[in-house]
Amino acid sequence: MATLELDGIKKKYGELEVVEGLDLSVEEGSFTVFVGPSGCGKSTLLRMIAGLEEITAGELRIDGERMNDATPVERGVSMVFQNYALYPHMSVEKNIAFGLKMLGLPRDDIKRRVAAAAETLQIGALLKRRPSQLSGGQRQRVAIGRAIVREPRLFLFDEPLSNLDAELRVTMRVELAKLHRQIGATMIYVTHDQTEALTLADKIVVLRDGAIEQAGTPMELYLDPANAFVAGFIGSPQMNFLPVTTTGTDAGLRLSSAELYALNVVPDGAGWGADMTLDLGIRPEHLQVGEDLPVRFDINVDVVENLGGTRYVYGSTASGKSVIAETRADAIPRAGDKVTVGFDPVRARYFNANGQRLRHKLAA
Amino acid sequence: MIGRAPGWIVPLVGAFALIWIVPIVGLVVTSLRPISEIILGWWSLQEFTLTLDAWIVVWDKYPLAYAFWISTKIAVISTIIPMLLAPAAAYAFHFLKFRFRRLLLILIINAFVLPNQVVIIPLFRLWRELGLIDNIWSVIIPFAGLSFAWAVFLVKNYLEDFPNELIEAAQVDGCGPLARFFYIVLPNALTPIAAVGILQFMWTWNGLLLPVVFLRDELPLTALLARIQGVYDRNWDQVAVAAIITTIVPLMIFIVFQRYFTAGAQTKSGSKE
Repeated sequence: MATLELDGIKKKYGELEVVEGLDLSVEEGSFTVFVGPSGCGKSTLLRMIAGLEEITAGELRIDGERMNDATPVERGVSMVFQNYALYPHMSVEKNIAFGLKMLGLPRDDIKRRVAAAAETLQIGALLKRRPSQLSGGQRQRVAIGRAIVREPRLFLFDEPLSNLDAELRVTMRVELAKLHRQIGATMIYVTHDQTEALTLADKIVVLRDGAIEQAGTPMELYLDPANAFVAGFIGSPQMNFLPVTTTGTDAGLRLSSAELYALNVVPDGAGWGADMTLDLGIRPEHLQVGEDLPVRFDINVDVVENLGGTRYVYGSTASGKSVIAETRADAIPRAGDKVTVGFDPVRARYFNANGQRLRHKLAA
Repeated sequence: MIGRAPGWIVPLVGAFALIWIVPIVGLVVTSLRPISEIILGWWSLQEFTLTLDAWIVVWDKYPLAYAFWISTKIAVISTIIPMLLAPAAAYAFHFLKFRFRRLLLILIINAFVLPNQVVIIPLFRLWRELGLIDNIWSVIIPFAGLSFAWAVFLVKNYLEDFPNELIEAAQVDGCGPLARFFYIVLPNALTPIAAVGILQFMWTWNGLLLPVVFLRDELPLTALLARIQGVYDRNWDQVAVAAIITTIVPLMIFIVFQRYFTAGAQTKSGSKE
């Protein structure tokens, strides 16, 4: 178990800056998830923490100690790779034991710890097999076994579930959460899948273009996104963004849109003004088909995605803007239908033209 | 049945294979018939007698067993050296970062363009100075040295596809550069190392020019074969015997190790393909 602090961490490849002056602290025993679109620098950041990538500038501390130039072993990290990276010429047992052997541990010790790790992950029956004789899920377990057997201070996961099929991914997600609770170690996990981030994390760090967009608990990011990027990235399906224009004074603004609805907003913070064009963000799960919510407008249905328990209605507004709404009713709208959708203004979030969040008080 | 070859393929391939094998059959038949019959052509059937005369003469007249031993020594030593050193060099050039890496690589690979004949005169003068003429090392050193160019190139090419995650996983597991080479890269690079071994063995076993120039009494089979051929009388039957003896070893080696030419890379890291 360990704490991790990043202080102004930078990574440059020649002139190209892929991680730009990043500050972050990871608490002991927490499960932190780095999430972001591909190319956002999340894997590079993880590899810098692992000691596989040089840190161009800044300081990386583990338990308060500077570790910029330490080897992975000195840092006390272990890592699970995206494609498992099991040694093909070694049996499962040897794969798991390899790190311990490199540490020069006595044979009996190694045996005992491998057996314990195999027990935790329920791979005892596979110990004599080669990686090529294992299924994807089994390989994943072995890779995790190789990581936990060393009892590292810090666990690093680089998109460990992305090679598994959908069903197995859900199972392994739950098992990873259990494993974290069981061994209580500090874990850092990289993924581009916001569902994994929401379900696993104590803390989510959303990255874009090598910078942190927002860091916080899953619910903070879901309910209180700092900008339109985070709002759009966290949550599935993606948040709807609808343009609105403002009239009135700072004390109370009226928002109106091409969709012929209007609502009042009391600004709480800077950035607001009259005659602005804003984006009103509303999540599909808060935009319900039906007449019973306070703010309503009509959409033309393009496609309905039926998930059994719920259905997502993909449609377009009168001004041609695409929106996604939800309905739990059994009466499923059909493509070409015109339906009324509505939302509660409490659920709406506002963003200016640069995507920055504009905070508001709930109108009295 | 799906995937079954059409019937005409077998006779066609058979015919081609026959053309391929004709010289070898000729060689064997020549070695087994008296010279008076061979003059009419080894395929002639006017008279047909089989005799082991040529084999006996060659065995009595020439130090075949000794030449075989010399050939073996030269070929084995000059094969083992690049088999050990080429993977190490290829690993260093591919996975490690050091100064002048590119320049050194170009220098080594450059020996590719250097034909045997070019090095003969300078080497001959050097060996004479050092008293290495008629010493098998005068042949082994250039054999091994000249092989590095292609051997390093071959293994390095193979390592291009070597999964980098394996190296990194080993790094996280606490391996330094040497441990990564011995524990991870070497066991997974047996295919190119075997290929280097087979090719180098064939080349050194069959090498003629350097042994003929640098060796006097310590003659390998190829040089001895040249000497048998060098006599003026018609001794085609004896030449055939020597040729068979010389060919048999590379042939066996190839048959035994051919699977290494076809075996795919064993470096799948365990991800789904």
